[in-house]
This record gives sequence, structure tokens and C-alpha cells, in this order.
Amino acid sequence: MLETIATKYMWSTAAEIAGSFAAGRASAVTVIEATIARIRERDPLLNSFTAVTERRALLRAQALDDARAAGRPLGPLAGVPFAVKNLFDIEALPTLAGSKINRDHPPATRDAALIERLEAAGAILVGALNMGEYAYDFTGENIHDGPSHNPHDLERMTGGSSGGSGAAVAGGLVPFALGSDTNGSIRVPSSLCGVFGLKPTYGRLSRARTFPFVASLDHVGPLARTARDLTLAYDAMQGHDADDPVCANRAIEPVAALLDRGAEGLRIAVAGGYFKCHDAETLAAVDRVAAALGANRDIDLPQAERARAAAFVITACESASLHLDRLRARARDYDPAVRDRLLAGAMAPAALAVKAQKFRRWYRHEVLKLFGDVDAILAPATPCTAPLIGQQMINVGDVEMPVRANLGLYTQPISFIGLPVVVVPVPLQPLPIGVQIITAPWREDVALRLAHALERKGVAAAPRPPL
Amino acid sequence: MKKRSMKRSKKRKATSKQNTIQVKRGGKRSTSRARRTPAKTPTDFLDPLIAASAQALGLAVDPGWHGSIKFNLGLILRLGALVDNFSIPDDTEPGPVFHA
Repeated sequence: MLETIATKYMWSTAAEIAGSFAAGRASAVTVIEATIARIRERDPLLNSFTAVTERRALLRAQALDDARAAGRPLGPLAGVPFAVKNLFDIEALPTLAGSKINRDHPPATRDAALIERLEAAGAILVGALNMGEYAYDFTGENIHDGPSHNPHDLERMTGGSSGGSGAAVAGGLVPFALGSDTNGSIRVPSSLCGVFGLKPTYGRLSRARTFPFVASLDHVGPLARTARDLTLAYDAMQGHDADDPVCANRAIEPVAALLDRGAEGLRIAVAGGYFKCHDAETLAAVDRVAAALGANRDIDLPQAERARAAAFVITACESASLHLDRLRARARDYDPAVRDRLLAGAMAPAALAVKAQKFRRWYRHEVLKLFGDVDAILAPATPCTAPLIGQQMINVGDVEMPVRANLGLYTQPISFIGLPVVVVPVPLQPLPIGVQIITAPWREDVALRLAHALERKGVAAAPRPPL
Repeated sequence: MKKRSMKRSKKRKATSKQNTIQVKRGGKRSTSRARRTPAKTPTDFLDPLIAASAQALGLAVDPGWHGSIKFNLGLILRLGALVDNFSIPDDTEPGPVFHA
């Protein structure tokens, strides 16, 4: 590929950009100018950005160049561009959360907590990313902004709801991005777009100043093209935040220095039963990862199907409660597919939602027992590779099922109890697909180590799309 | 726990069988009047629920949305039944923890 301003640093990792900047081989302004040029040139194909914060990014880059020239200390992500799903508050912009309605909101007066933390580490925000309306989505489609497009095949879905995050990272626009994950919204686009994604333990990363979806299940986290970049972003965002009542008061547990420890000594099993997918590509991906990690035993997550059902019920009821006022005032301004699910959720008996929350406690207790015998569990991330945009049904083995509800089939029973998960991309042809590495609460380090080990073995990789 | 769940599950099965019989009986009755009124589907009980809920919550539901709301409500209830028919001890705390 002929190098132009737009392709400069296109496939550089965050670690490489930060290294070049720290060593004086690259200026932050040059990196940001290249990133903005790339977004302008290539995003019309991907439709991943809904706002580009060019002026802010260039000012920030100049400040970093000045800081380096003055010999001031630089953060571990100094000079690295990143973008965020448009449910994160960005000062001076309304927080869309993928909706038409929120366009009438006043601009945010302060950045989301995680943007502040990443910028404190030297990273530079370049914009906001497309997403499914109010995060109630697994497809990456949005009737207001148009669908985000999968860089590996522009006719195909990115997965959602963090579809713009998946497309921007897989398409080389930014080395990493932030998404949110309530039922699978980081892991599904990571799988379909072929990038690494981390859904941390519930309560690990602050959700302060993000637009909520289902408070009981909402997580936020990064997507990146390497496990190391995922780790660098994750480490920079850790730490208690009193502005998010769910954020745990735990010491920061950095992982970057542990990444090279590999899989040695770790006990790894493959999720059986409910998670045994009959799709050939999904099976092949799990088998490859299991073989590379020496995982030769199956383990059953008890009542996983019920866990998914309970997550579904809680999602329906809590999200409906969040949107009641808007449903009364502006029901016609919603995507009909989102509106009708929210209305149905408002009409569902509250007793079921409370029972689902009680089942959540039971299920967590039972699943945590499994981690006495294993350190990590492997499971498919999605039941298939990326479907076509607009596709309504998918075939999984011999079973035909609706796309919209079932892309999260394997992610919902995990986020339901807040377990940390890293999705690793397996570069199958013609389309990649992800595998979940699930660990005990607060053991993101184990999942990230395994992801890095798989990358070094060549089993996991974010494939470069033919753009 | 497993034994209790199974016992409860059997009980539920019995209940749902009774429900099925009632529906079938109702179905027979409506078949005999089929020329006057169309046969009711098993989810027709959702129609008054949707109307009453919309009224109680002050939600204006366009008639064109009714079919989709009904489908989604039916799905929630079907999946909710899967949760409901699992026995959980009374003293189980719900998932979220509130710290005062």
C-alpha cells in the first residue's frame, strides 16, 4: 500500500505509537493529523464515527509535543489516538447513545471518567462512535445514523451495540476504542470484526458520565487490535471512582508487566452443554484456541440457559423503567425495534424481574464454585460469523433463529454475573470470529495473559481487512 | 437444591398441563362458534394486558405497534417462565447489592 498521510500509523499499535512518541521519533500532532485524515478518507465506508473532535485532539497533541520538548513526564499512552462509543460523555457534545431523542440534550459539561483517565495517561480522544440505539442491540445497525459496516466485508454487520467501536478498530482508524457491554455489546462486535475486546469484572471500571442501559448489568471496556494494547488501555482506566456507585473500591491491579507469563500453570476448560455450538466456524475457532492452550476437558455452567433468560428479563424490565418518560413523550422518535421491546418490558410483571435477580445470586454462587477447579473457561463469543446487514435470521447448525436476539446467546450468561472476559479474534477465512476467555471475578490478568499467549502462538490475531 | 428444583418443576408441569387443558377446552368452545368469531390464539390474553398496562402507565400505543409489542411481551413471559419455574430459597438476596 502506498503510504499517504492517511495510512501513516494506520496499523501501528498503541504500544508502538507511544514508544515512537516517547523516543522522539513521532510527534503527537503528526499522529493526530494522520488519524483525522484517515477518518475523513475511510470512514465514509465504515460509518463508524458520529463526531470527530479534531480541534480538541490537535490542541491536546500540541500540548503533548510541548510537554515532551520541556522534558515533562509522559504517560504510558502518550500520543495514542482513541475514540469512544457515543454513550460516553464528551465535553461540549450531546451524548447521543445512538438515539435521535438525545440530540436535543444539552452538551455534556465534563468528559466521562474513563476518557479523563485515558487522557491523564496521554491518550488523545479523536471522536465519538456509532452504536445501536440506547445500546439495545446486537447488530450494529442504527436507523438514525445508518449501520456501521464490517471492515472485512462492508455488506456485513459489525455486531453491536458497540458497532462503531468494532469497525473503527478493525478498520485501522484508531488503535483502540471504548465500548459498553450489558449483554455482549463489546464481545459481539469484537467477534464479528475480528478484534480483541475486554469486558472487565462488573464494578471494575467506572461508568461515571456514560448513558446507562441496564444498571444491574452495564459494563464498560476497551477494544483493540492486540492483547497488549487492550491491557495498556485497561491498566490506565482502573481505579475506584465514587461517581459510579457500582465501581469497586479496590486497589489498581496492573496487568501489563504480567502479560508475558503465558499459560503455564493455568487450568483451562471448555464450556460444554449450552455452549456447544453447532456452527462449523464457531466450533473450529473454539477448537483451535482449546488445542493451543491444552484445554482438553469440558465443564458445564449450571443452568446457563436460565441465566440467559434471566438476563433477558432483567434487561427488558430495567431498560423499560429507564425509558418510561421518553416513551410517554416521544415514542415515535425511537427505532421501532427498540421502542416495541421497551414498551413490552414496561408491561412485564415486576415479580419476574425480581425473581431473575434472585436467580442471579444463585447462579453466581454455583458458577464461582467451578473456579476452584479451573482458572479459565473457553466459550464461543457468537454463534456465527458476521451476518449480512439487514439479515433477519441465522442458521446455527440445523436451527434457524432470529439474528437480533441471538447474537448474544453465548455472552449473556457470562455478563449476567459480571465475570471478566477477553474475546480473542480467530482469523478464519473469509471472516474472523471470536472466542471468550472467561475467568473468576477480578482475574482479568489471567484472561489477558491467555489472550497474549494465543497471539504469540499465532492462533489469535486481528486480521487486516482488504480496505 | 437439584431435588427441590425437580420437585418444583414437576409441580409446574402439572400446572401448565392444566392450563393447556383449559386452553383446549376454550378452543373447543370457540371452534363451535367459529363462524361468528375467529378462534383465539394462546397469546390472546396479552391483548387486555397490553391495553391495561398502557393505560396504567400512561403510554400511548399506536395500534400499528401492537403486534410487535405482543410478540416481545410474549417472549419476555416465555423466558420469564423459565426463571419462574426454578426453585430458589426464600432467603436468597437479589443480585444487586446496595451499600448505604
